Amino acid sequence: MSRGRTSLTDLARLGFSDLRGAQRLLEQVEPTLHALFGRAADPDQALRELLRLREHGGGADALLADSDAAARLIRVLGASAGLAGFFERHPDELDVLSSRVQRLPDAESLHASLLAGVQGSAPEAAVDALRVRYRRELARIAAWDVEQEDPIAAVDSVAATLADLAGAALDVALDVARASVAGDKQELAATRLAVIGMGKAGARELNYLSDVDVIYVARASGDLTGDRAVELGTRLAKALTRILSGPSSEPALWDLDANLRPEGRDGALVRTLESHIAYYERWAKGWEFQALLKARPLAGDRELGARYCESVAPFVWSSASRENFVESVQGMRERVTANIPAAQRDVQLKLGPGGLRDIEFTIQLLQLVHGQTDPEVRQRATLPALKALAEHGYIGRAEAAEFADHYRFLRLLEHRLQLAGLSRTHLMPRDPEALRVLARASGVAANEPELTARWQRTKTQVRSLHERLFYRPLLSAVAALPDEDFALTSDQAVARLAAIGFVDPAGALRHIGALTAGISRRAIIQRNLLPVMLQWFADGADPDHGLLVFRRLSERLGESHWYLRMLRDSSGAAHRLTQVLASSRFVSDLFLTIPEAVAWLEVDADLAPRTLDQLIEEGEAIISRHGDDPDAAAAGVRTVRRREILRAAIASILGLLSVQELGRALTDVMTAAIRSALRIARTEPDGIEFGVIAMGRYGGRELGFGSDADVLYVYRPAGAEPEAARVRAGELVRALGALTEDFSVPLELDAGLRPEGRNGPVVRSLDAYRAYYERWSLTWEAQALLRARGVAGDAELLRGFETVADEVRYPERLSEQDIREVKRIKARVEAERLPQGADPTRHLKLGRGSLSDVEWLVQLLQLTQAAEVPSLRITSTLGALEAAVEAGLLTAEDAGVLREAWLFASRTRSALMLWTSKTSDVLPVDRVQLEGVARLLRYPAGSASRLEDDYLRVTRRARQVFERTFYAASPAG
Amino acid sequence: MDKQQDFVLRTIEERGVKFVRLWFTDVIGTLKSVAIAPAEVEGAFAEGVGIDGSAIEGLTRAYEADVLLHPDPATFQILPWRGEEDATARMFCDISTPDGQPAVADPRNVLKRNLERAAERGFTFYTHPEIEFYLLKSSKLGKDGQPTPVDSAGYFDNVPGGTAHDFRRASVRMLEDLGISVEFSHHEGGPGQNEIDLRYADALTMADNIMTFRTVIKEVAIEQGVYATFMPKPLIGQPGSGMHTHASLFEGDTNAFFEAGAEYQLSKIGRQFIAGLLKHAPEITAITNQFVNSYKRLWSGDEAPSFVCWGHNNRSALVRVPLYKPSKGQSSRVEYRALDSAANPYLAFSVILAAGLKGIENGYELPPEAEDNVWELTDSERRALGYRPLPTSLDSAISLMEESELVAETLGEQVFNYVLKNKRREWAEYRSQVTPYELRTNLHAL
Repeated sequence: MSRGRTSLTDLARLGFSDLRGAQRLLEQVEPTLHALFGRAADPDQALRELLRLREHGGGADALLADSDAAARLIRVLGASAGLAGFFERHPDELDVLSSRVQRLPDAESLHASLLAGVQGSAPEAAVDALRVRYRRELARIAAWDVEQEDPIAAVDSVAATLADLAGAALDVALDVARASVAGDKQELAATRLAVIGMGKAGARELNYLSDVDVIYVARASGDLTGDRAVELGTRLAKALTRILSGPSSEPALWDLDANLRPEGRDGALVRTLESHIAYYERWAKGWEFQALLKARPLAGDRELGARYCESVAPFVWSSASRENFVESVQGMRERVTANIPAAQRDVQLKLGPGGLRDIEFTIQLLQLVHGQTDPEVRQRATLPALKALAEHGYIGRAEAAEFADHYRFLRLLEHRLQLAGLSRTHLMPRDPEALRVLARASGVAANEPELTARWQRTKTQVRSLHERLFYRPLLSAVAALPDEDFALTSDQAVARLAAIGFVDPAGALRHIGALTAGISRRAIIQRNLLPVMLQWFADGADPDHGLLVFRRLSERLGESHWYLRMLRDSSGAAHRLTQVLASSRFVSDLFLTIPEAVAWLEVDADLAPRTLDQLIEEGEAIISRHGDDPDAAAAGVRTVRRREILRAAIASILGLLSVQELGRALTDVMTAAIRSALRIARTEPDGIEFGVIAMGRYGGRELGFGSDADVLYVYRPAGAEPEAARVRAGELVRALGALTEDFSVPLELDAGLRPEGRNGPVVRSLDAYRAYYERWSLTWEAQALLRARGVAGDAELLRGFETVADEVRYPERLSEQDIREVKRIKARVEAERLPQGADPTRHLKLGRGSLSDVEWLVQLLQLTQAAEVPSLRITSTLGALEAAVEAGLLTAEDAGVLREAWLFASRTRSALMLWTSKTSDVLPVDRVQLEGVARLLRYPAGSASRLEDDYLRVTRRARQVFERTFYAASPAG
Repeated sequence: MDKQQDFVLRTIEERGVKFVRLWFTDVIGTLKSVAIAPAEVEGAFAEGVGIDGSAIEGLTRAYEADVLLHPDPATFQILPWRGEEDATARMFCDISTPDGQPAVADPRNVLKRNLERAAERGFTFYTHPEIEFYLLKSSKLGKDGQPTPVDSAGYFDNVPGGTAHDFRRASVRMLEDLGISVEFSHHEGGPGQNEIDLRYADALTMADNIMTFRTVIKEVAIEQGVYATFMPKPLIGQPGSGMHTHASLFEGDTNAFFEAGAEYQLSKIGRQFIAGLLKHAPEITAITNQFVNSYKRLWSGDEAPSFVCWGHNNRSALVRVPLYKPSKGQSSRVEYRALDSAANPYLAFSVILAAGLKGIENGYELPPEAEDNVWELTDSERRALGYRPLPTSLDSAISLMEESELVAETLGEQVFNYVLKNKRREWAEYRSQVTPYELRTNLHAL
């Protein structure tokens, strides 16, 4: 049987995959036909399907007799198992492939064909007849499509014809419905029903198999009432769904989806024109207007449909000036990216990054923004819209052409994938064999690797599309760009900026102008970078301020080589810069005084806090440089402090530093500043020992931005006469105050926790402290000493002080009366210290269940138990809390609640300072402020109410624990 | 929605409505009303009506004064008592902050939020209340220092030609005019005391109906020259005015409490719902019985449900599974008897729903039913049987609520705080009183 046998090599060349299997099967096929399989997308499938078809009668054989028809049949079978299945069910329909399809059918001829298909059928049979005729036409379109030399160029017309076919199906189905639904025939005849195409059907760019989105409009004619027309229209619409999408022996065509109608699934299926308009006037949400962009009379009463489209058009084109357009656009973007299962992300043709939806989103956004004033860009379909936007100067012509190609390429792949199974898919196959078939089917790549490479390339470019089409042209409005063939007017640019959330778009445009004007290297680099940075700014809570500070920063850094290099080469650093500037006034203010700090953004290590040793060493170096000029030395030390605070602030915004790490970092910065100041003040031996003791949150290493440093000063004569020593110590205290003073980032040394408070001397000798505490000590002083920690000065003296403090703060036994005293003071503090009119539930420091509740509870445990439990002898609140749990003084659960509240309040305080650059201890009530704070606390956009509720809940629970454990069995009111 | 709006605008035209009252409720349950002209209604639908909320109990914090009222067109009704010539209509409103968020302190929003939570689990919540109230000759006290009831009839008494009879007839007609269906009405146990039962509806509609009901009753009373009060316990020695509330959950069209063949035809979900109610009853009492005076009713003996237990047709139990025809599966329900007529229905329905859902979520076991008259048991017997008492005073109710995660979560932190603050203030004011009782018993003896 070697006659006419095609060799395995030849079969491989033709594109068969299962060579031996094919060789065997081909024995049943005329050898002259073998070569034809080479033009099928999937030769193996074509061969299998052909043989199967031949079992179903002579239709296939008739085609095979004519080599032209045979080629067509084999191509269609190789491209679509779905159509092969159709021909198996209906071999009589094979004759559709007998002659060459010269051109795609127009809407009229499709309608005529479908109408002929159902002519004479009883209503029950008409459903199948219509579906069969639809698929016959589909096969004709597919046959034309797969024969195109340039399939990419054919995408537009194929998509349009598919939409026409869907429209024809709806029209004929409506005829069938009118004949089959129950009801008075005259009344039915008086019911006018328009089917409005939405989505891809409306835009006349339909896929081989996608949902057909529609909206129904009914109207009465003659004597019929409007209500009755809606009722009968609803019956007809339901019948349409049944006819086209319901179960029957010939499978459904596609899903008829009417969910874009007013009120979605819950709304009435059919409405009158007036009712539609009333809805859009009063109720519709932003995205609904965006959907209307695609509306087109698709089937049924054309005149009514046209009136509908005319009536809704004004809504579409004024939607960009509606109040919540920005949110609605953000929502649109989120809907695009959300809801994609992670496993599909990389194979999504439509929804993934760089997918079709990215192109559609950008183009629709541009249309909505510019279509407000320019009717020329009001196109329904994607490709014509792209063309119009370019022709009228909103995007570059070259870009428009490039993205049109990308769009067609992606659509072509989608078409081929859907045609193959006649199934609604937007997923690229993972199987290499399937990819090989797709490459052959699309005709744009020779093999699987080439196809994959081209697709990846396209995706990468589409991902940059939004930036290139939406943001980059903004620059053209303010600076002539040499490589652009068009320029936006400033009004057009302002409209775009407002659409993405700039509150003062005209101001933003001025900044953009200043940043990009001229021919300096900086301007050139910023021109390249700004489009994407604008997008990032728009994601922040305060884009206007962010952009303003960026402009100033950039002016200050000028042509610094490193700055330009960093902007050019490190998109990570530029992104961080926008994030920080658009979310924190505190940081943006500081940045302006230390613009070099921009350099840290590139490297995480540069954002890590400097160690205390490093800071001290740097202080030493500064002091020795300015040995004879204490003012200059102090200025140098101040600069270091500001710089380090900025570093910690940036790191904490970027999430590189927890609030505890932040506390330690700011504490080290404080200590370094004090030690350096002390070094400057004490150039020569002065006959005394001197020391600074950290107290309060400083002692606990829990400083926040803008916290005062609580301190005590101590001295001990070492050679000097007692009186001279006292005088000298006093001088040192004053010198410390003067040397550390900083007007831009205030540093306040507060000695208010000293014995006798404001009435006592600011500095005492160690002996005086000892004598005082032995004789007079009050419980609150012992409590304050719990957090005392020597930080600067002579080490011996500091140790000596801590030893004295230990006696006081870790007493062998605290009397009942003392315990009561602590509780009483706490109760009084709650009542008196809170600022007038402040809401205790919102005060971060003194409020219900916030910082001071946790701290007092911990401190009472320390006062009563630390003598027994050495691990409680620790100045940090959370450290002591942990020790208390280990010692069994507190349940882990209670401690967890307290810890959470303490951390929440601390983080909120820090975020508040970062956002406003003002110290405040109250959770804001203003929603803009709350939103800014919420973003810094890493909530998603729009979480103001959630932050409030979370804070109130966490602190309420902490207060419950506090009441139970601190006041213990407090008598009920 | 638009259809309903169109209907509203059309009706305003057709019926010549001159004023439209926008109704909303403060946290305490007092009905508030703002009147707007018909010409403003369209704008009110589109953008809402701005009001200064700072003057309204618990609605806003003083610093966030501006809120917007959004009328709900589904609640549009012509008010029958204003007469056709100067027709007035009303709509209930949802309240939002200026940035379009639902106001957290709007009780209607609290209930909506909780109904949504139930809906996420597939449940719709239906209620039907039996509302008791007293008719008095006037709001002024009599010579004996006590309110004077309009009659001295008793339970189910038919008083021919009596005020109460006419009164109920007029009220029921007016309620029906307002689209509120009445199931039943009769004279109650106390002199001048009446009860009207509303036909069941979803909880939001019912809460709106109750607010309307109170207004209707007060209006009819004015028309007839008497005074109506929903005070929980206006007369010493006479029964208090409760608002026994029948509750049921539906899953789609099926009553989730019904199970053919189960004991009392009560499904597992129904049993768990009751278990939830019982477990959380003490902590929600400050909401269901919100006034100092409420506790005088709750502890007046008789049939007041003072102890946490359930029973089938047991009139002394807190939760009762009523008798109904086994064939009527759709009417399976449980009756919560603590509620009084002065509760804020939005908040009260919210906590009842939340307590019941908690029982379902955590699969609480239902304790054995109470078969005796719980009041006739001794304290020790009740302890032995595990019948906890409800709080005996507003003070103890507040303390229990303060510790309740359930109530905080249900009301939201801000309403929760507000209610606590407000109720503590009420208790403090009450405590500072020297009552006639003290004067009578102490002044002469001490």
